[in-house]
Amino acid sequence: MNAQNHSVAGRRLPRLDGVGKVTGKHVYAADFKLPGMLYGKVLRSPRAHALIKKIDTSRAASIHGVRGIITSADIPAIRYGTAVRDTTVFAVDRVLFVGHAIAAVAATSLEIAERALEAIEVEYENLPTLFDPEEALNSNIRIHPNWETYKALPIIARSGNIAGQARIRVGDVEAAFAKSYKVYEHRFTTALQHPGYTEPRVATADWDANGNVTVWCNTQLPFDTQNTLAEILDLPSARVRVTVPGIGGGFGGKLRIGVEHFAALLARKTARPIKVMSTSEEELTAALPRQASVVLVKTGVDKDGHLLARSGKIIVDCGAYAGSGPGTAAISLQVMAGPYKTGALELEGIAVYTNKVHSGSFRAPAGPMANFAMECQMDMIAKDLGLDPLEIRLRNVVKEGDPGPSGEIHKSVSIEECLRKAANAIGWHDRKPEPGRGKGIACSWWMTTGGSSGVYVKINPDGTATLVSGAVEIGTGAITGAAQILAEELSLDLTDVNATGVDTQAAPFDYGAQGSRTAFSVGNACLAAAAELRRQMFELAAKQLDAPIEGMSLQDKHVIAGNKSISIAELARISRLAGGGLIAHGTAISPAPPYDPTRVQNHPLPVWNTPSYHAHAVDLSVDQATGKVTINRYVVAQDVGYAINPTYIEGQIEGGVAQGIGQALSEEIVYQDGRVMNANLTDYKMPTAMDVPEIESIIVECRSAAGPYGAKGVGEPPCIEPPAAIGNAIAAATGCWPNSLPMTAEKIAAALRVQQS
Amino acid sequence: MNRKILNIVVNGESHQVLIEPHWTLLQVLRNEIGMMGTKENCLEAECGVCTVLLDGKAVNSCILLAGQVEGCSITTIEGIGDPEHLHPLQQTFIECGAVQCGYCIPGMILTAKSFLDENPGSRPSRDEIREAIAGTLCRCTGYSKIIDAVATAAERMAISGGSQ
Repeated sequence: MNAQNHSVAGRRLPRLDGVGKVTGKHVYAADFKLPGMLYGKVLRSPRAHALIKKIDTSRAASIHGVRGIITSADIPAIRYGTAVRDTTVFAVDRVLFVGHAIAAVAATSLEIAERALEAIEVEYENLPTLFDPEEALNSNIRIHPNWETYKALPIIARSGNIAGQARIRVGDVEAAFAKSYKVYEHRFTTALQHPGYTEPRVATADWDANGNVTVWCNTQLPFDTQNTLAEILDLPSARVRVTVPGIGGGFGGKLRIGVEHFAALLARKTARPIKVMSTSEEELTAALPRQASVVLVKTGVDKDGHLLARSGKIIVDCGAYAGSGPGTAAISLQVMAGPYKTGALELEGIAVYTNKVHSGSFRAPAGPMANFAMECQMDMIAKDLGLDPLEIRLRNVVKEGDPGPSGEIHKSVSIEECLRKAANAIGWHDRKPEPGRGKGIACSWWMTTGGSSGVYVKINPDGTATLVSGAVEIGTGAITGAAQILAEELSLDLTDVNATGVDTQAAPFDYGAQGSRTAFSVGNACLAAAAELRRQMFELAAKQLDAPIEGMSLQDKHVIAGNKSISIAELARISRLAGGGLIAHGTAISPAPPYDPTRVQNHPLPVWNTPSYHAHAVDLSVDQATGKVTINRYVVAQDVGYAINPTYIEGQIEGGVAQGIGQALSEEIVYQDGRVMNANLTDYKMPTAMDVPEIESIIVECRSAAGPYGAKGVGEPPCIEPPAAIGNAIAAATGCWPNSLPMTAEKIAAALRVQQS
Repeated sequence: MNRKILNIVVNGESHQVLIEPHWTLLQVLRNEIGMMGTKENCLEAECGVCTVLLDGKAVNSCILLAGQVEGCSITTIEGIGDPEHLHPLQQTFIECGAVQCGYCIPGMILTAKSFLDENPGSRPSRDEIREAIAGTLCRCTGYSKIIDAVATAAERMAISGGSQ
């Protein structure tokens, strides 16, 4: 079908769940309750690294209204985790960070549960601590003394405090440095950032008479949560049902199990339904934030600014457990290579344990960290060589058919178009030297995560369609986008599609709402389901109309055969009586493109599926006295392949940039001696409506081969470039190059004072 | 626990609720009256998702003790419109693409309503709207489309003659 002729897909239609959300009728996991429900609370460690000498719960258990208490002694001794199986539900024998779960209490009210926590007596014996990731690399202190006994994915390379180590090598990097006209070497640091979803992690669990458990929660990955719960509970996964009534944001912070296991275990212990919800303090001390990192980049160029060699090393501080640290360290290598041709590469990503909060996969994990380092250095090189920052990028960007870092072939490449459009929109060529004001530019590329999706689509007797997917609508509008594709293919209106909530017991498998893949992959599954439904409807219509299938088409909710027609609704009614109804199972999988495995070592995501390209440009002012940054204009040019719904694509761009501005300028979970100093939403500074400028989106459509109607992943990229683009603009405005996130007014003012003296 | 009777009017209906002295208005609305459109998050008046109207003014229900609102009239998101009769703000939030995950939206809409009702018939600037909604955190949208929605609703309400 020609995308230009679409009547539903590609249009700015309102989302399917909009009315429920503006009227307060949309049910979120936090709103879910059951009769007789208990409340659960988790006791968390006040020590960063200590042996647990004794836990005495007897005084807490005797409090009126306390129904059950569990510690590691009460549950199966199981370690779980995605890359490395190093994680336990509760601290076992030792606590590894401030905030580490030690025990959980079930009580008839939250207040009683909180009182019970205070009555649990724990004796500790302090152990030496490790807070600095670089120090942890070479320290004799072990966060996990038995790390060798843990199971891990075979691809993950571990050693001591190193939870994962990946490499990409292309060509002879030393020879290329030797040939370089100039070599630049810089060090950057980035900070721990909370995903900042407004609905805390929450779960309600209940066991039935047959020993099956149902968990109502706000996970982004219901099937992953189902499997992890099954392991923790030592049950077959079919006996664990995970359902997501609604979810108040995720941004990657709700990929892995959060509080679901506490709820399920306490419900089993007490034989009562129970609800567990994180507090803001728990969110900021014991959730799954974006890792802090140290990035070292060394780049060799020729006289004209062509990249000849790059070596890079990122040290990802994954905290007390590996979490997604090994994957993040590995993905950062593709980000460090960038959408550039570089003669030779030697990139290394290391995930290292420290006595801090375990970390997760916040939107474009590794993206903004590695891009900040790589793209700020690009401007430093341009300045030193007397080149325009746009020009040095244009000289190096990949073109159609160029090899990527893993030896894959770049296809439907739009990076030059994105750079030129963003630059033109910000008035790049009209830059005038103005004290305290500057423009910055940065670009990147990013994958569309693969994984399989299945949908069931049923045609109802009124001619509407029900879409059952295992993918959670986390707010992006991805399910509305998939429904637009389904409606387009079936000649329905978008409002004819009813998308159900997610229930692992009823829905087909989906790899989950992650990695910019939901609209892409569920959309492809909808295409497949629609094709099967057309087949079923044409077959039935052939009998009803006594007409050949060849030449049949779907138009305006009718099957048309020559001058005869029959409505979809009528076919659905006939099929109900004669054939069990019109229903299809559509599936989709995007195989990884071919690549050169000799270039990539110990990398769980060795090659990127259907990459997108994008460029950001910013115009900002810096107060010369205080260092305060005011963003005057912000422009994004992003290649989305095909814009399924431009309104919600703009929404992804605007929201992603706002998060990126937070990471660039203000957000940091601040640790001092192993303790979080700002575990509340006043001191953890997320951007408010006063802090985010108008963001101008330029949607570029360079069709992909794999996505529905040529779409590419959209959700993650917008948060990648803001730290680099803003850092480069700050440098243009002040002459001072920030090398540490967040670039707070305090840091900028200090740099300005050094410059003035 | 010393329970006492609280008399409040919620969305025009009078309620008598047996409350404990430490309960907040948020707890009463969600746990006792079942107005689940009022959301909970930080419980420290920092995020704004729990915003309701107390005698027409936006307040954070998470830090208001229920005992303080004896005899008061409360409006929650359920009280300003329903799917068949959306308030202009509810309508424009949908039209302008201002809703993503939606968890902050009830608080955001009520904050905006309180602001527009203070200046009936006005057409506030985008900067004035930014300032008015700055107390409610939204992590999804970057705020632009929320500002579009409030500005569009203000325009429509001004044309149709003031507060709704």
